Amino acid sequence: MSTVLDLVKPRLWPLLHRRPNGATRKYIRLGVMTTVAGALWIGVFLVSLRVLGHFSTIEQIGPLLNFKLLSMLMVTALALLVFSDILTALSKLYLARDLPLVHALPVPAHRIFLARWLEISFDGSWMVVIFTLPVFLAYGMVFQQALLFGLVLPAVLLPFALLAAAFSCLLVLLAVVVIPATRMKNIFILLGLLAFVAVYLAVRMARPEQLVDPEVFDSVLTYVASLQTPSSPWLPSTWAYNALQAALEGVPARGLLDIALLWSGTGLLLFICVGLADGLYFRGYSRTQAAGHKFRRRPAGRPRRPRLFSGPTRALIDKELKTFWRDQTQWSQIFLIMALVVIYVYNFKVLPLEKSPMPTFYLQNLLAFLNMGLALFVLTAVTARFAFPAICSEREAFWIIKTAPLAMRSFLWIKFTIYFLPLLVLTEGLIVVTNTLLRVAPFMMGLSVLTVFAMVPGIVAMGIGFGALNPNFRTENPAQAVTGFDGLLFMVFCAAFIGVVLALEAGPVYRFLLAQLYDRPLSTRWFLRAWTSGLLVLLLCVAAAVVPMAIGRKRLERRGI
Amino acid sequence: MIELRSIVKTYGTHTALHGLDLTVTAGEIFGFIGPNGAGKTTTIKIIGGIMAPTSGTVEIAGIDMARDPVAAKQRIGFIPDRPYLYEKLTGLEFMQFTADVYGVDQTVFQEKADALLEMFALADWGEELIESYSHGMKQRLIMCAALLHEPQVLVVDEPMVGLDPVAIRMVKNLFRELAAKDVTVFMSTHTLAVAEDICDRIGIIHRGRLIAEGGLDDLRRDIRGGAPNLETVFINLTQAPADAPRGGPQP
Repeated sequence: MSTVLDLVKPRLWPLLHRRPNGATRKYIRLGVMTTVAGALWIGVFLVSLRVLGHFSTIEQIGPLLNFKLLSMLMVTALALLVFSDILTALSKLYLARDLPLVHALPVPAHRIFLARWLEISFDGSWMVVIFTLPVFLAYGMVFQQALLFGLVLPAVLLPFALLAAAFSCLLVLLAVVVIPATRMKNIFILLGLLAFVAVYLAVRMARPEQLVDPEVFDSVLTYVASLQTPSSPWLPSTWAYNALQAALEGVPARGLLDIALLWSGTGLLLFICVGLADGLYFRGYSRTQAAGHKFRRRPAGRPRRPRLFSGPTRALIDKELKTFWRDQTQWSQIFLIMALVVIYVYNFKVLPLEKSPMPTFYLQNLLAFLNMGLALFVLTAVTARFAFPAICSEREAFWIIKTAPLAMRSFLWIKFTIYFLPLLVLTEGLIVVTNTLLRVAPFMMGLSVLTVFAMVPGIVAMGIGFGALNPNFRTENPAQAVTGFDGLLFMVFCAAFIGVVLALEAGPVYRFLLAQLYDRPLSTRWFLRAWTSGLLVLLLCVAAAVVPMAIGRKRLERRGI
Repeated sequence: MIELRSIVKTYGTHTALHGLDLTVTAGEIFGFIGPNGAGKTTTIKIIGGIMAPTSGTVEIAGIDMARDPVAAKQRIGFIPDRPYLYEKLTGLEFMQFTADVYGVDQTVFQEKADALLEMFALADWGEELIESYSHGMKQRLIMCAALLHEPQVLVVDEPMVGLDPVAIRMVKNLFRELAAKDVTVFMSTHTLAVAEDICDRIGIIHRGRLIAEGGLDDLRRDIRGGAPNLETVFINLTQAPADAPRGGPQP
């Protein structure tokens, strides 16, 4: 056991030895990140409290509904834990950079495995546990069993997380013998995302908004409550649910067997894993290393390339496109975006405009105006995923750019160009299609297209510029760059940018629509206000495109590698 | 060809270079040696334009790196000690990328790329993804790419790391040939035998200061009683008291 703990120490020491170095910037970052996470946590708690509290007031079926939600929560948490643990296990057991050093140590494979399982259990589950905690807290308060529930909860959640990690490790251990970890990770991410997209599309197409329709609400709730089929007794989520339900009902002793099942299940799975580790783990690790050497024979001759660009622009565009298409992990992101676009357009297709008490002309154009904001938020999300990590994705090969006869300004603007064109097409496409579905007036269509055209450069430039502030060139996954402090800043600034532009346009647009609706002439004052707003919007868009790029350039120029 | 004047570089409170002055002329092979953390890689990065000095100036072929970095870098071929590359490109695609960035004419590229890949024994690997290359092959590919645009200055950090004996001999010959064509080679190395073998002049850096500089014979003579080889010179000049701090943090 001491060897296992020794192997975990390199992970713990940096945390224990961390000393505050007085850097104000670090404290600010920590403060902002903690505030945002705390706000999110409190938000989840309040929403859960409200929903569960509301359900509990419904006679007869209220508690039943709450327990059903708890059951669904446990199944979802188990699925998330297993998915997250499998990805973490593939990285920690087979792909981590420190593995050559660890495997060179005179330590049996099963001990390395055990040490990694501890890390996987923590890394794969901390986020799921932290963000389900407010929901559990709300359950304890609604059922007025906060103290008792609070005592049972750790006894359930701890083995639940450990068991999920042991199960995932076992799956990975067996699977990597057949398929190398590198390929396995890509396949798994793709399958996971496809499953998510399929479920997401299915749920959306089922039109859950009908639940708020008073005509069908009661019958749906009664139907849900009548579904009393018990969950599978073989699933750990059922054991966890049973133990939590018993605690919520004030009879925790009834759940002791389920808690025992969770602990013994963890022990059994771990026993199997350790038994297999000596025989399979090193074999799988060795196979994964060999699988990295895949060869790609191509017919002789130089690749023919379009001559649209030349020099560094062509070099970087070529490099970026080839790297993108040859990295299968990027494909899954494309599927996600496609699903997002389909859902987005579908939402507009099924809008019940005719049922609204407001005049259709007014409502159509109001929705079109708000649609600009929505489409720009979609753009922000896509930019965060693709353009923000564009600098970071140079990784340790960034020395090539630093030593090349290429001004950092040109480098950044070339990166901008690469992402600007597809993102512009995406956003304009969304706007035109949804406005067509809404059958908006030509004025609103023109305004939307022009506004988006003016704002896309700003948002993409903010993505590139903020991404250039503190890129981590040593990261194993550049796509995660946006989850840091600079990513948060990017999101906040984009939201502010979109909000201010829409606020500037709202007044003149509102007056214009009223004039159209009531057939009134437009005053000179309106024209003056409209032109002023337009000018301010234009200035803001130019500033959004230029300032972040200039700041990013300065940071990259000063920075070594 | 390379002119460093009063170069100071600090990392927080640690000073890595204390007013380094150095001139390397055209056609010279300059060996830059020193203990770990002495400031070699920092100097190389400053010459390559990867890092700006805290104060002081760098000139490459008479061009100030701070004033016109693009023109200065156009004259440099840079070979780092660790061969990080774009793993999803093939070797040939990386060469094309470099040619485009350095503005090498397409016809010239086609001729030179084949010749260089052949010279560095990579001709059969040009169409393979770089992710399948070994460390030494990546190092050789970087050398190919660094020579594509016919640089006036070659800046090399640990040139022989990861290379097999045949490649080491080939690289040594290549450096001599380049120097004969007036190309300046600035080379940082721990392989003292290589420095002895090919360098016209050697500089020894210790704790951020250039403590000795000259031809091999000059350096040997400067040691009291004479020194039989560069290793003895190096140890004599850089051996510090056991309790003294050696080197500093790398960026």
